[in-house]
Amino acid sequence: MTQTLHILNTEFVLHPLGGVFWIDQSLLLISDVHLGKVAHFRKFGAAVPRKAVHKNFMLLDKLVAHFKPFHICFLGDLFHSSLNKEWQLFENWVAKTPSKISLVTGNHDIIAPEKFDALEIEQYQELIVKDFLLTHHPEERESYFNFCGHIHPAIRLQGFGRQRLRLPCFFKSTHQLILPAFGEFTGTHVLKPNKSDEVYVIVENEVVKV
Amino acid sequence: MTKKQLFETAENWFHLQGWKPFAFQKETWAAYLKGQHGLLNAPTGSGKTYALWFPIVLSYIKNNPNYKTKHQKGLKAIWITPLRALSQEIKQSAERITNELGTQMTVGIRTGDTSTKERARQKTTMPDLLITTPESLQLLLSSKGYEKVFKNCEAIVVDEWHELLGTKRGIQMELGLSRLKTICNDLRVWGISATIGNLEQAREVLLGPNTGALDNSVLIKAKLNKKITVKSIIPKKMETFPWRGHLGLHLLEAVVPIINNSKTTLLFTNTRSQCEIWFQKILEKHPEYAGEIAMHHGSINKETRLWVEQAIRNESLKAVVCTSSLDLGVDFAPVETVIQIGGPKGVARFLQRAGRSGHSPGKESVIYFMPTHAIELIEASALQKAVKTEAVEDRLPYLNSYDVLIQYLTTLAVSDGFYPHEIYPEIKQTFCYQAVTEEQWQWLLNFLVMGSQSLSSYDEYKKVEVEDDGKFKVNNRGMAMRHRFQIGTIVGDANIAVRYQKGGYIGSIEESFISKLTAGDVFTFAGRNLEFIRIKGMQAHVRNSSKRTNKIPSWMGGRLSFSAQMSKLLREELYTAERDASKQSKEIKALAPLFAKQRTESIVPKPDEFLIETFKTRDGYHHIFYPFEGRGVHEAMSSLLAYRISLLSPITCSLAFNDYGFELLSDKVIDIQAILDNNLFTTQYMLDDLQKSLNSNEMARRRFRDIAVISGMVFTGYPDKGIKMKHLQSSSQLLFDVFKDFEADNLLFQQAFTETFEHQLEEGRLRMALERIASQKIKWQACQNPTPFSFPIITDRLREKLSTEKLADRIKRMTKILNK
Repeated sequence: MTQTLHILNTEFVLHPLGGVFWIDQSLLLISDVHLGKVAHFRKFGAAVPRKAVHKNFMLLDKLVAHFKPFHICFLGDLFHSSLNKEWQLFENWVAKTPSKISLVTGNHDIIAPEKFDALEIEQYQELIVKDFLLTHHPEERESYFNFCGHIHPAIRLQGFGRQRLRLPCFFKSTHQLILPAFGEFTGTHVLKPNKSDEVYVIVENEVVKV
Repeated sequence: MTKKQLFETAENWFHLQGWKPFAFQKETWAAYLKGQHGLLNAPTGSGKTYALWFPIVLSYIKNNPNYKTKHQKGLKAIWITPLRALSQEIKQSAERITNELGTQMTVGIRTGDTSTKERARQKTTMPDLLITTPESLQLLLSSKGYEKVFKNCEAIVVDEWHELLGTKRGIQMELGLSRLKTICNDLRVWGISATIGNLEQAREVLLGPNTGALDNSVLIKAKLNKKITVKSIIPKKMETFPWRGHLGLHLLEAVVPIINNSKTTLLFTNTRSQCEIWFQKILEKHPEYAGEIAMHHGSINKETRLWVEQAIRNESLKAVVCTSSLDLGVDFAPVETVIQIGGPKGVARFLQRAGRSGHSPGKESVIYFMPTHAIELIEASALQKAVKTEAVEDRLPYLNSYDVLIQYLTTLAVSDGFYPHEIYPEIKQTFCYQAVTEEQWQWLLNFLVMGSQSLSSYDEYKKVEVEDDGKFKVNNRGMAMRHRFQIGTIVGDANIAVRYQKGGYIGSIEESFISKLTAGDVFTFAGRNLEFIRIKGMQAHVRNSSKRTNKIPSWMGGRLSFSAQMSKLLREELYTAERDASKQSKEIKALAPLFAKQRTESIVPKPDEFLIETFKTRDGYHHIFYPFEGRGVHEAMSSLLAYRISLLSPITCSLAFNDYGFELLSDKVIDIQAILDNNLFTTQYMLDDLQKSLNSNEMARRRFRDIAVISGMVFTGYPDKGIKMKHLQSSSQLLFDVFKDFEADNLLFQQAFTETFEHQLEEGRLRMALERIASQKIKWQACQNPTPFSFPIITDRLREKLSTEKLADRIKRMTKILNK
């Protein structure tokens, strides 16, 4: 179950897997996938279950199949580490995905630009589409609404009976929406919302506004 | 020299000191010189070090007749101590013997504190007698050519074995011993243990079940007939004494006369924060003590601690507020009195602390028990009986801890490599791994080499390699280095050094506390008020501050559960509340106002009654059950019961437990009648239900944290050593989820569940407790307000969670509250 959101008279859809879809542009935003993390750990002797490698690609497929976007833009930290064999899986995924793909580079993206060029993936420091500024690190710039990642946002909920929960979320402030980390095997960072902030938590297969 | 001559040498030395050897010391010498192994049961400060250092030196004298002129180099004996702080003391007593008997033997220390220069020197020439820790012994096994170093080692002594037994450090020791038994030509294995419930088993674990070593061994008990007197501090005004709390500051003034009347008093607190607070408050209320009292806990820097220890010996201190950091080792003759503040959580520990006073033989030990809240008075009374009957706890050894074995095998692969067919029989002789099957062994080997159970072409997993001749070896230097940094089984929060800006070191605090501070915040640490300036690297910079503060770093203290015997004593004590006053102890009598209050809201149960209380507060709906079976059993029972209730209808609740009972706290009412009607306390399907309950709470998840670190799947990183491993850090929580989804049959993942099951939830006692409840009358009291009995439980912040509801449903209820 998705959530629809209107920002600057533009319609966006928040997906429980962590993507934001811009309907008019047929543009899918995904942030912090951290591909290659499992393989990187294994290469250094930490035996993270090998099967976990495929999960990210399965989820990406699911998300792409849902929206069938013309254009997919990754908001940074697409690859967790230096080149490892998970790159081959990524190449396969790019080859079979019909959408145009671009990347706003993040702090983890240290793989040579040529490798992305070879896959016809355009890379940017930032991307401006109409009134929207797409970055990896959160940014505030006048007269733009910012979509970004990097933070891996989550919030903490409290309930009666001393119940507490910590859940990943889309975190929206007046001029900004921070996307949750898409990747499996990534952590989260708890944010405290202000009055003016809107929080959309991801619960099982739903996006719920709190 | 003959045995008789050797004994004379030793006894002469004792006479020169004006001492006489105890029977247990001579017994140990004789057994050792006969070539036997053994376990010596002797308390701290009884002369146990001389019981074992002597025969080691005598044996050297025997084998080297011209020992006075010619020095036979090489390692001869290893002394293992669980606390590196104790190593200096042990060295001194060893040196007294080696020097005064005229040998040229050398004594050395190798712990985490040893300088690299000293270590390098030891590499070329090992001291004759080496004092070290279990971790440092493993590190020695991880260095190339270790077999040669240990070849002529004749003895290994594991001191304070009771502290290691029942921990993963104990397993590490078992594994180290299994290797040494093979590579040393003629090794004697000895342990020294304080009194615990399962001494015989302690010997079996040390020496290995069904081994020749166990057959050729002795258990020697030092019968010192120490008289221990326990006195309770009873508040004068029970009406104003609090129902809950763990600080106990209400009785501060009652402590003052005790301090004044004794030469030196040790005040034992249960946590480091409590220690800090008590120290502050005593000085605040009694400034006249300035300079005469001190504080001692594990986070204070080493110099200060050593200074305090020395000051105790010099009799220059009136009192020392301390934590378990003064439980072990070090003799303090001038200590006359010990005060225990709050429940000691264990009879063995209480006895050990009592033994810190009146050290000279024949003197009586006096320990005051100071309750921090009312119900602890029942504990005080029960403790007195427990001391009389020595109802001490067992230390339950671990079985099949794959994580420690993985670490050990990697250690061997890092040094000279290993052949599985040589190591397998060795580990099969240890207590921990006696039941490991060939399939499990093969699984572990696969895991080491492939990081899984099958090869995959595109996988780049790398750790241990198999060489052509079948040797398992780590060849990558980076891998070896990372492993050496990770050796150890104590998993903790990262520690941050606290320093003045100019560099003076004050101590270390858990990162989780520091990370909550912002610049300008003032906190109390090491008896000072400090203003936090900034974090730089792994250091927190601070300056002195005159501001008052209530921020005190808290450290999680280990929470031990009472033994079955002690729980029984506790119950029996409580049941006297309903009996004639003449049959009551003075502690129970003092509690009369509390019992009266309890009766107005609920009841005080009789032996054949099982009390359940329910009431509502701002926090939610409380459901409290009182089996009086000890913390461990209550933890298991609460998990079991909550799971069974959830089968009737989905619930979410938080669980809290102490030694008296447990609570299920929920945002909805739980139908107690339904629990009774459906007979949810039955022992039928108990095991199965308990196992299933682990899936809906977080106990196993928490256990997994240690397992992931010990087995090397999670790197903790060592930023203070200047090595960048951030790109390899992940949380064990994430890893747990990945395993759950993709490799639930992984032995290490499974271990988290079996460990919770066997070590936390004491299945056998749970069954007996449930059987007892089945024979009792259920007394369900629907109360208006919290009762005195319930207070310590409902205010406990350390809670277990359990939920079987759909997350989305819970969130919707939560958001309703947020929007209200």
